[in-house]
Amino acid sequence: MKLNKLMTAITFATLSATAVTASAGDKYADFPITVKGYTGDKTHSVSYGGQVARQVLQTSLMKLAYKGNGEANPELLSQMNAYYSGKDAGRAIIAPASKDGFPVAQTQVDQLSKGKNLAGKTYKGAVPGWPGNMTAVEVLNFMIEKASASDAGFDYTNGMDYPQLISKFAMGAVFYNQAVDNYLDEKLAADTKPNDKAYKKGTAYTGKEHVWDEAFGYFGAPTNGATVDAKQAYAVAKGKKDVFAKADLNGNGKIDLDTEMLYAHAYYAAGADKSGKTNYLNTITQAFIDGRQLITDAKGEKLSDAQRTQLMAFADTIKKNWELVIAEAAFKYAGSVYKDAQKLQAGIEKNEDVKALFKKYIHHWGELKGFSIALQTGGKDLGGFAVQLNRLVGFSPVLLGNTQVTGIDAKGNYVQASSVSLNEFALQMLKSQKALADQYPLKARLNDQLENLSALADKIGSGESTEND
Amino acid sequence: MDSLFNEYWLQLSQLFSNSQQRLYWGYLLSALLISALWLVFIEKGKSTKLNLKSLLISHWLSKSSSADYQVILINKALFLIITPLLITKLYIATLIYEQLHLYIPIRSDLADITPEWLVVTLFTLTLFIFDDFARFFLHKLMHEIPWLWHFHKTHHSADKLTPLTVLRSHPVEGLLFSLRSALVQGSCIAIFIYFFDDKVDLYTVLSVNVLLFIFNILGSNLRHTHIYIRYWHWLEALLISPAQHQIHHSTLPAHFNKNYGATIAVWDKLFHSHCYSQLSDNLQFGLNSKQDSQEHSLYNLYIRAFVDIGKSIRSFLKSPKALKKRSLPD
Repeated sequence: MKLNKLMTAITFATLSATAVTASAGDKYADFPITVKGYTGDKTHSVSYGGQVARQVLQTSLMKLAYKGNGEANPELLSQMNAYYSGKDAGRAIIAPASKDGFPVAQTQVDQLSKGKNLAGKTYKGAVPGWPGNMTAVEVLNFMIEKASASDAGFDYTNGMDYPQLISKFAMGAVFYNQAVDNYLDEKLAADTKPNDKAYKKGTAYTGKEHVWDEAFGYFGAPTNGATVDAKQAYAVAKGKKDVFAKADLNGNGKIDLDTEMLYAHAYYAAGADKSGKTNYLNTITQAFIDGRQLITDAKGEKLSDAQRTQLMAFADTIKKNWELVIAEAAFKYAGSVYKDAQKLQAGIEKNEDVKALFKKYIHHWGELKGFSIALQTGGKDLGGFAVQLNRLVGFSPVLLGNTQVTGIDAKGNYVQASSVSLNEFALQMLKSQKALADQYPLKARLNDQLENLSALADKIGSGESTEND
Repeated sequence: MDSLFNEYWLQLSQLFSNSQQRLYWGYLLSALLISALWLVFIEKGKSTKLNLKSLLISHWLSKSSSADYQVILINKALFLIITPLLITKLYIATLIYEQLHLYIPIRSDLADITPEWLVVTLFTLTLFIFDDFARFFLHKLMHEIPWLWHFHKTHHSADKLTPLTVLRSHPVEGLLFSLRSALVQGSCIAIFIYFFDDKVDLYTVLSVNVLLFIFNILGSNLRHTHIYIRYWHWLEALLISPAQHQIHHSTLPAHFNKNYGATIAVWDKLFHSHCYSQLSDNLQFGLNSKQDSQEHSLYNLYIRAFVDIGKSIRSFLKSPKALKKRSLPD
């Protein structure tokens, strides 16, 4: 009889342990409602629709930035502003949009969340890497205005690719800044958005649950981000129909933009992870899941000091890896600009038509610039490294007459001055890669222009280096 | 501390297990086979006592050989600590690669028009030749510059040669050769990659430059033995034979400052330090014919160089001309 009781107890304990493990799960979804006194009809407590709305505002804004016709275009400017600072209803989701074999469920921003914009959540600090001593909001407004008058997004005179600059910088100044410098930072304080109260009166989630969800929404991963294969995730963001079946997690025949799509830095995490040398997407999403589970396990009670310490550790994992994702992207594009500058120089020497090359060069520089200034919006003082990176990358790429943008005049026009040669600028890109690699423990190191050197040095080995005869 | 100790033993074991090392077991085995074939088929049993003595245990337990072992053990420990502080070939390569952007702005189409096999062949050959020349030239300086000779004496004080004698060197000499290696290899890597980009590679066998592998597998370890293997004169004008290197270690004044080369003999020809091997193989090794066993003490192997340099400096300060009159080696 005693043996039977013992077996029953063991079975019960095993089942309980299994239940706890199962509840942790591998998806960022379906966390139960823990807030006390909730009387609504929600069945779970996860909510980050506002953040996904901002993700599609950003992707749509980028699309609009390509629509300039080379002249001042007030209509386009107004449309772009609607996606950056407007809150009006009726804004269509321009991207991601349905494609043949890859239908998406939502077509309006309001279907995700109403009354959202990017401007209200943009980093409030100054951006020393951009000319004009502007705040991040001012920089984005400036870029949007320039983009509206650009030649399909490009300003060939000053070497600007506005869609890239706007997109990459907004990802940092809005999503990265909000997540790492707000939700995963001050809003994790004990008395801020506590876990024993609803986030707002009547919400199905507690203060801490929603704070954590919002940070997750800004990262841009789908709910299966902790386990999804990087190549598959990357293809989902590109809207490839061959991965549709795997991406349609709930099997409703459409991609739900709030739970099944990949955005922003989650996309670049997958881009780095495709190298097989990193695992940023899975690592960051898993840390989000683990943190959310910890909050859920508090069952609507205030987090203890020990729980908060553990939560901060998860936040730390997210912040560190997120920063690395941006640094890896900047590293990659510094390598691209290096190669472009070399090819451009060679093309000029041979009197070839370099228009296409120049466009590519500007494009890659735009990505590099966007990521490098985004890196500086995380609320961390990057000190001398930031100064060095800003100087190396410059306010524009070196242009064909060996000039470079050095500032902005009172009328908002770029000012150029003579600068280094294209080849010297290529060298600055090498130094940018070195500076990034010295500052961060980068692993993917895509487009590593010094890789050939290190690989060959390794191959030669060190045998007999100190021997004589 | 444990990891440092483990690393020490790992590095020691790699002396014999790593094919990039001269003492790799495969090269030692090939040297043994070559010497056996030489003694049986070429010498036909007419070898001198000196040749055969080098195969006896007493030779390997001599004071000279014991000093070799001590130097190897001590230097490995020293370099375990020093190596992370040394300038690396990657550092040099990066530095030169960066400077090339400034001084040679136009790379031309070399990378596009040169077939990959040719780039790899050129790199393999260039690296081997420049490395060998640098080795020759620094070796020559070690003999001809007085203060450097004080350090190099540690190597030449060996009066019984075994393959392990190659590692009997003063740490200062080790540092200089490490710097030499970084400079030569770093320069070659930077220049080739600057002009040929990712086409640059190295032909290797067992992870070693194929030319260095051939040199090692064909008996490089016989240079530090008493097996007097000679080549034809035409070949000795091109490549240094084991006998020629043994001449380099000879105590005969006529052999002083001869055959500095590691593999290629042409450098010695060009710098007038070349010496063919002779039929007679009764060579005596060491600093001089009257060398005593004190030369194998740790004091003499490690400290005396500094004391001698100190004396030279004092002597120079008293009478600069006196220094110039010194003849080398001691």
